[in-house]
Amino acid sequence: MKPFVVEKAQAGQWLKDLCDTFDIFAPLPSIKGYHDWQRWDGSNLPVVRKGVPKSSIKAFFFPQPEVLFQFNARASNPDAFRLKEPTCHPKPKILFGVRPCDARSVILNSIPYKSDPYFQRKKEEIAIIGFLCEEGCSTCFCKWTGGSPVGKEGMDIAVIDLGQVFHIEVLSDKGEALVRPQFFREPADQEISEAKDLITKAQGQTLEQDAASSLRSKELMKLYNAPFWGKISEPCINCGTCTFLCPTCYCFDIQDETLRGKGRRIRYWDSCMFPLFTQHASGHNPRGDKLKRVRNRFMHKLKYFPDRFGPLSCVGCGRCVRECPVNIDIRQVLKDLLAT
Amino acid sequence: MEKGKSSEWEPKIIAFLCNWCSYAGADLAGVSRYQYPPSIRIVRVPCSGRVSANMILDALRSGADGVLVSGCHPGDCHYISGNLYARRRFAVLERFLEFIGIEPGRINFSWVSASEGEQFAQIAREVTERVRKLGPAKRLVKEITSCPA
Amino acid sequence: MSSLNQKITQEIQSIAASMLESGQVAAFLGYTTGTIPGVMQPFVARNAQDAKRLCWNSFCVLNLANYLPSLLKSLEPPRRRGEPPPEGPLPKVGVLATGCWSRNIAVQIQENQVERQRVVIVGISSRGMISRRKLETAVGYKEIVHIEEQDNSLLVKGNDFEDTINRWDVVRDNCQTCIHPDPVIYDELIGTLNGNRKIPDRFRQVEKIETLSTDERWQWFNNEIASCIRCYACRNACPLCYCPTCFVDDSRPQWVGKSIEPADTALFHILRAYHCAGRCTDCGSCESVCPMGIRMRLFTKKLQKDVLELYDFEPGLDLDTPLPLSTYKIDDPEDFILTHIKKGDKK
Repeated sequence: MKPFVVEKAQAGQWLKDLCDTFDIFAPLPSIKGYHDWQRWDGSNLPVVRKGVPKSSIKAFFFPQPEVLFQFNARASNPDAFRLKEPTCHPKPKILFGVRPCDARSVILNSIPYKSDPYFQRKKEEIAIIGFLCEEGCSTCFCKWTGGSPVGKEGMDIAVIDLGQVFHIEVLSDKGEALVRPQFFREPADQEISEAKDLITKAQGQTLEQDAASSLRSKELMKLYNAPFWGKISEPCINCGTCTFLCPTCYCFDIQDETLRGKGRRIRYWDSCMFPLFTQHASGHNPRGDKLKRVRNRFMHKLKYFPDRFGPLSCVGCGRCVRECPVNIDIRQVLKDLLAT
Repeated sequence: MEKGKSSEWEPKIIAFLCNWCSYAGADLAGVSRYQYPPSIRIVRVPCSGRVSANMILDALRSGADGVLVSGCHPGDCHYISGNLYARRRFAVLERFLEFIGIEPGRINFSWVSASEGEQFAQIAREVTERVRKLGPAKRLVKEITSCPA
Repeated sequence: MSSLNQKITQEIQSIAASMLESGQVAAFLGYTTGTIPGVMQPFVARNAQDAKRLCWNSFCVLNLANYLPSLLKSLEPPRRRGEPPPEGPLPKVGVLATGCWSRNIAVQIQENQVERQRVVIVGISSRGMISRRKLETAVGYKEIVHIEEQDNSLLVKGNDFEDTINRWDVVRDNCQTCIHPDPVIYDELIGTLNGNRKIPDRFRQVEKIETLSTDERWQWFNNEIASCIRCYACRNACPLCYCPTCFVDDSRPQWVGKSIEPADTALFHILRAYHCAGRCTDCGSCESVCPMGIRMRLFTKKLQKDVLELYDFEPGLDLDTPLPLSTYKIDDPEDFILTHIKKGDKK
């Protein structure tokens, strides 16, 4: 589709216009100081900072807690024990300012959640206005995982920030529905070439290659029994920071919560880093050992998932690298695995 | 919960009473016909020292408007020192909950001996009044909503 | 690296190497350089070669006492459940300890998680550790690519900026109000002891919150924990949180829900802080590891203040005074207890 251009001065108006139909979320300064996903209040145009915001966008696609059904647990109630769907129907959402890695994570998460009605329903109601990356952070490694700083996978509209204007490319029907011609105009030739230059420059920043095919070709047991797992897992404190901030970690647990006669079944994020993750009712725990859990997480993301589905279960956003309290670096693990 | 005939809110207070003193004291209050409001819902525990912060907060989480924990007078504990450990625990807990913004008066502690039926009724009335003034508890209550925020 | 840190690093490397070579310890707990600026990785050196990787600077924020109980256990020969430990001395662990970390080791010894004769404590007096969050704020959240630490300042470089920051300005809150920078229990000492500091208003952050009204406090508390994702980094980084089954994982009864509902998250933080009452030494690990910037050490600081006021106790200062919530005195304060004494009663 033909690209458009929106003057930044007009872009705020454009988003305000969309506010009637959509709830707009953008990475905005939180009360703690860092930028994180929040509902846009309709005031100033959100400024999309370099790099990714603190959290990924997976909370929009599978929130926690997510109510699967509700029920009344009082036998005297006429509706007792009948399962009912949750009654909320929120406005459709726009996620404004999503980086290519986060947008790509939606595609990756759609693979295991292909038949998940809750995820699919939410996905239908969310439109992504993505921002291509001019410059990566030192912790970004999207090219290593098969992504790109100017990748458009998963986006409905791709935006390139040219300083005074946004260069806009519509990529899907959902994106088409967000177009408001009164705020858009045709791009000037100079703007088109500026955008092209930016893309070329961003693509040339790193020379890394997609590691998926190398890892797929390696023998699984050789990686599993590699000697470096002890060294890597030693400092791990088994918190859930990496799993909960990761855009492509998607494990959950399901539980019923009943109180004062009302009940609901919820699912919430679970982490393979917690010992309870593989605890059996018999008391046996196949991954009771820290080394086993750490190894499992990296093997899943970098070997089992690509073996089954193709791409790595990682988009190279760098959140785990930045936030891991003990600095376990997935890039180091990738290097070690590729060298085995 | 189906409401009774009155639509005015009445506080619900969970009272953890130690079996040997406070529970017996409450029993004596009943037998002696000392009146106290039915807001007090009693849970019998072997000793006030058994009551942990988890239990008190669980009561608030489940929707109790107030909590009362009552044990033997110091020195009279059936298990010698259970209430003495409990005293330290509750002192620290009470101050901490006040610090984070739980209204003072939501959780209460008392010593009531087995012969103090009248005193138990008095304390029950007093605690009910305290909690009634604070209104229904909203701060740590878990709601089973189908649409979490 | 600053000259002070350089000296300390060299001493650590040589002490660790000699302890490992002589067999005095089977493992030495310390830090090594991380892969990104401002973060150090806890590291276990098991031979003289490993010891060369040990490093020390002002970014060593995680309490090393956290690893002690499990590391000690892993060095014991495997045995079945219920079997007593074998005769003879078990392998020892060397560990670096600043003031607060050494106090935590003392608490762990008192709580029987660590045996005194199995740890060889190498004490270092702390100059205060730097908060990565404060540093991020100080440079306006621009990406930091390189940090060069000097004795009293930090040279911080990004792709398009360079800043010199006063070191003390970005030292962690708990370090700024610390009165025990010296290790209280140690077998070897690196550097000199600097003596206790006098800070008359060391509870100032807590006191500020105590001036708020009840509703304002509730507002403050909820704003503080609003970003919690229940990753449990705080709990796992805390050397006091070693329960085999945390109360969070209890299911019958289930005290706390597992999702991020406000009531459940509030309860988690309240109870976790409460479980540290009388034991927490304000090492700041919890706050330093939180990815979402929650200042949960304000809760434990309040508990510290109360325990000091009520029972005149500071945890970890000596091995003989029992911990406050596992003991009692007949005349403990009880002004919060409701009692009605009839006139004429003897009590």
